[in-house]
Amino acid sequence: MKDGRFLTLGIETSCDETAASVVADGRFAMSNVISSQIDIHTAYGGVVPEIASRKHLERINDVIGKALDDAGVSAGEIDLIGVTYGPGLVGALLIGVAAAKAMAYACDIPLVGVNHMHGHIAANYLEHQELEPPFMALIVSGGHTEIVNVPEYNKCEKLGGTRDDAAGEAFDKVARVIGLGYPGGPKIDRAAKEGDRESIAFKRVYLEQGSLDFSFSGLKTQALNYLNQERQAGREINVNNVAASFQEAVVEVIADKAVMATEKYGQKRIVMAGGVASNSRLRALMEEKAGRKGIDVLKPSPVLCTDNGAMIASAAYYAYRSGAKPDLELDAVPGLEF
Amino acid sequence: MKILAIETTGKYGSASVIDETGRIFSAASSEEMNHLRGMITLIDEALREAGITKDELTHAAASVGPGSFTGIRIGVTTVRIMSQMLDIPCIAVSTLGAMAERALGRAISSGALYVVPVINARRHQTYAGVYEAVFTADGSRQSAIPVMEEKQYMIEELLEELKQKMAEHSGAAAFFTGDGIDAYGDIIKDIMPEESYVFAEEDLRYQHAESVARIALRKAAAGNILTYSELMPEYMRLAEAEQRLRAGTLSDRIRKPVQI
Repeated sequence: MKDGRFLTLGIETSCDETAASVVADGRFAMSNVISSQIDIHTAYGGVVPEIASRKHLERINDVIGKALDDAGVSAGEIDLIGVTYGPGLVGALLIGVAAAKAMAYACDIPLVGVNHMHGHIAANYLEHQELEPPFMALIVSGGHTEIVNVPEYNKCEKLGGTRDDAAGEAFDKVARVIGLGYPGGPKIDRAAKEGDRESIAFKRVYLEQGSLDFSFSGLKTQALNYLNQERQAGREINVNNVAASFQEAVVEVIADKAVMATEKYGQKRIVMAGGVASNSRLRALMEEKAGRKGIDVLKPSPVLCTDNGAMIASAAYYAYRSGAKPDLELDAVPGLEF
Repeated sequence: MKILAIETTGKYGSASVIDETGRIFSAASSEEMNHLRGMITLIDEALREAGITKDELTHAAASVGPGSFTGIRIGVTTVRIMSQMLDIPCIAVSTLGAMAERALGRAISSGALYVVPVINARRHQTYAGVYEAVFTADGSRQSAIPVMEEKQYMIEELLEELKQKMAEHSGAAAFFTGDGIDAYGDIIKDIMPEESYVFAEEDLRYQHAESVARIALRKAAAGNILTYSELMPEYMRLAEAEQRLRAGTLSDRIRKPVQI
């Protein structure tokens, strides 16, 4: 406690970001330290789990130390530690979990494990101070494309998800093939701004009537076939047009289904979360489509969309308040479900 | 002096607390590869056995490898954070050195001059070292001095080099320890001359924090300590992708993304 405020330290190492943050009362980020490994993994065309694990180990102490320093607090003033225990890369997750447990034990601080996906939703509690459940959440990231109903704090009901590739994965694959490289999401977003999104007719995959699930692998194959065909015909490929048309086919379906779910469950707000939630076209389309139905769209700022410790701290705070039991035998669960 | 030592590089995790008199209190897991879940419980048990609190600890030591990459990381991360939060120095202990230390007494009583810890790294590969049992300068006790580099060896290569080394002392025997015996026992029997080797019994064949603690105590007394940032894993092997990147054999698909 400091100045009557409950302090939570959040630790996140599920993929290629080593991150820690101190959050007051579950809502105010007093620090938000993110050490990205993206420059290292770019040389490999994607995240290499063994290398990610090694880098997390080298950086975790300083990231935690800086999160405390930036917030102007000592470890002894922390009331709760929250750490991502899944889903994610097992070797990466276990650095955060081992660090969190050692700190919890050394400093006598309760520790709760946080589901990374709950963290992405909680990023919105930091951005929008007035936001309280119930609401609908749309999570779009490298590994996830999910529509989730949030009836109360720390309760998430998954209504739909991808049956094959996540949206971010599809972006990464197509970006690689059109030579934009890794990470695909931001690069496609940038290239798409210079392109014509109606230039190539990529299909919109809605699946069965009323389904809230997604499928992007057919679209990805269609994009690869298109590129192959154009190259074989000796036609020059307009990378910006491919990026814009492909992105449109992905985000239009996502936006339509997210709005449909929000209406169906009678919610008035939809919050966006996850790395791909910072995609500018998805944000614009969500505003447009939800706006027509009188639904508010809330988005965290880009720094809170990426993996970070603040969102984990916020989710830990609400989990603890809802009665989550502190656990020094916490294990990493790479395939953790919602 | 009160030193916490932890060992997570093999199948079974353990934690020990040693004081300046050399008294050791330990806790060990009976569950395989339960390091992440069980480590704090083991540390807590060892401290309780020793009758001290974590705030009385003066040093934290880790068995830094080689061994299971995951295990190494759990141990090193735990010790680094304990060191940072309790504001105490770290001590790095070689896993192979600790295994030699553990086997030393039995090696000497079985008449062996060399102690050879061998960790199975699969496909005929090992992490290994060769130690000689010698008396310390004051003659008070015997210690294991490394006489061949600790590194990655093919099992056959290790044994050939060992035989050359042993030729320096006719009649010398080698005391093998570690899970390399389980994986390569038959190869060792094939290559080593009869009666030139002994296999460690299973009760001391595998890594244990006790020997990590004993080495840590000597290092602490000698002022051989580190800050938490200096405590690094000893993987003895690059990540596979990094090996390929350096060798220029990383997939073309990644290096030349435009081609399909």
